[in-house]
Amino acid sequence: MAFQPALVASHLTRRFDSRVAVDDVSLELAPGEIFALLGPNGAGKTTTLRMLAGLIKPSSGSVDVHGRIGFLTEAPGLWDRLTVERNLMVYARLHGLDRPARAVDEALDLFDIGNRKQDRAAQLSKGLKQRVALARTLLHRPDIVLLDEPTSGLDPESARDVRELILRLRSEQRAVLISTHNLDEVERVANRVAVLRARLIAVDTPAALRRRLFGSRVLVRLARPAAPFAEVLEPAFPDVRADDRTLSIAVGDVEGAAPGIVRALVQAGADVVSVVADEAPLEEVYLRLLGEESR
Amino acid sequence: MSRIAALLGKELADLRNNPAVFIPAIVTGVISIVMPFIIAVAVPYFSGERLADSSDLKIAVEMYRDQPATRSLDPEGAIQAMIFQQFLILLVLTPVAGAMSVAAYAVVGEKQARTLEPLLATPLTTFELLTAKVLGALLPGVALATVCFAAYVGGVVMLAHPGVYRTLFFPRALLTIFLLGPLASLAALQMAVCVSSRVNDARSAQQIGALVILPISVLLVAEFTNNLQLTSRLVLLISSGLAALNVALMAVGIRLFDRESILTRWK
Repeated sequence: MAFQPALVASHLTRRFDSRVAVDDVSLELAPGEIFALLGPNGAGKTTTLRMLAGLIKPSSGSVDVHGRIGFLTEAPGLWDRLTVERNLMVYARLHGLDRPARAVDEALDLFDIGNRKQDRAAQLSKGLKQRVALARTLLHRPDIVLLDEPTSGLDPESARDVRELILRLRSEQRAVLISTHNLDEVERVANRVAVLRARLIAVDTPAALRRRLFGSRVLVRLARPAAPFAEVLEPAFPDVRADDRTLSIAVGDVEGAAPGIVRALVQAGADVVSVVADEAPLEEVYLRLLGEESR
Repeated sequence: MSRIAALLGKELADLRNNPAVFIPAIVTGVISIVMPFIIAVAVPYFSGERLADSSDLKIAVEMYRDQPATRSLDPEGAIQAMIFQQFLILLVLTPVAGAMSVAAYAVVGEKQARTLEPLLATPLTTFELLTAKVLGALLPGVALATVCFAAYVGGVVMLAHPGVYRTLFFPRALLTIFLLGPLASLAALQMAVCVSSRVNDARSAQQIGALVILPISVLLVAEFTNNLQLTSRLVLLISSGLAALNVALMAVGIRLFDRESILTRWK
């Protein structure tokens, strides 16, 4: 993948006494990319994010950053007794923004929380707090946004709002690195995924990881029993299974193979009802990767 | 400077929304003000016995009437002046108590509320963070001490013998309140902030910071027992020592404030 990276981490290692929390992690992050960091509890995700944000130093390795960083910590970390506006204003001034009041107003509008600006943070729901924390993270218009479990503990509606905000960041060409346990979320937003358990087990696009571990299959549903049509495909596709009216065909690339499969079946007289890609859920990919790593 | 001002503004706003934290300081201030009035005004009034008649206090009368500034006071006024002067050092404890209530939570509180990590992700330096924390605790304490001093003077004007209030404006008194007090508070709260950076609960920080009260108490007792006379020169000398101690404590505080340890080892 050719890009000018916004952030490059090279061979990051972090030890706490004798324990190695992060072991030789290298990754790159491009503008306009959402990169998801997956891993079980204690895998070193937060430690990695903290090293990338410059909050803690790596024991070895380096981080090159091209642009400003915004870091959303795992907890919203708002000052409960202060109003939403005041919370943001302090950060606008800490970042040395020229017009802090204006920056705060823009952030409030962007996150649709202007009507709650005089509320104390303690009065907000968890979802709203997370929204304010995101607004705080983006106040200084960072080029690189690090999000530590941004939807953890949120109700589905709030989580969806946060996901939409993350997608908006990508459309603004910001580089986003998100640490999460939420595989559904990763499925929906991430361009690339890394699975971490102290060291990186795998890094790739979700589709490529699936292909690598499970291969890809095309499911073709026919109007009549499928068995007679299996042998039509077998010369080109060695692994074809027929089950009642459905054919399951192992392919290298779903999008490339599906048109040829449909053409061959129609020419053989089959009535094709539907064609779908049969993809393993990301959860299975993730668990398989962790399982392989444990062995 | 602007980052210090930003965080200081937050500290003061936070305090305005949580005035209960200042109750110990207010109680200390009230006790410091009321006690000398009980001894110098209320007890003689209700018992009907003048302080000047007590043989124990004759030396004080002579001492005060020897000085040009207090020569015009009658014997009862001289003793009142002595009592009000000596109790002045108690007022020094007011800003210390105020600062201690706030400072102990300075770092521990942020960590417990999980607000420290986002703060450390900004360009804020350790010096700026600690300075804002220290000032955020010191300024309200000093303001409270000033209010208490004003009330003290007001009470003396209204209740003590004429002319006694003038002794509260002697350099010694003003230096005690406006120099020794703030510097002692600063030392106490810097100790508390240092400890607050290394411990997991605010109580430990309060206990260590409260050690500053001990030398102040020693001064108080020494003065009461006539083993020490707190002159302007002595106040200045102690203040200089405290100023040097404060510079050293800030340097130690910055060294002790281990961001990584706070983020990674505290739960």
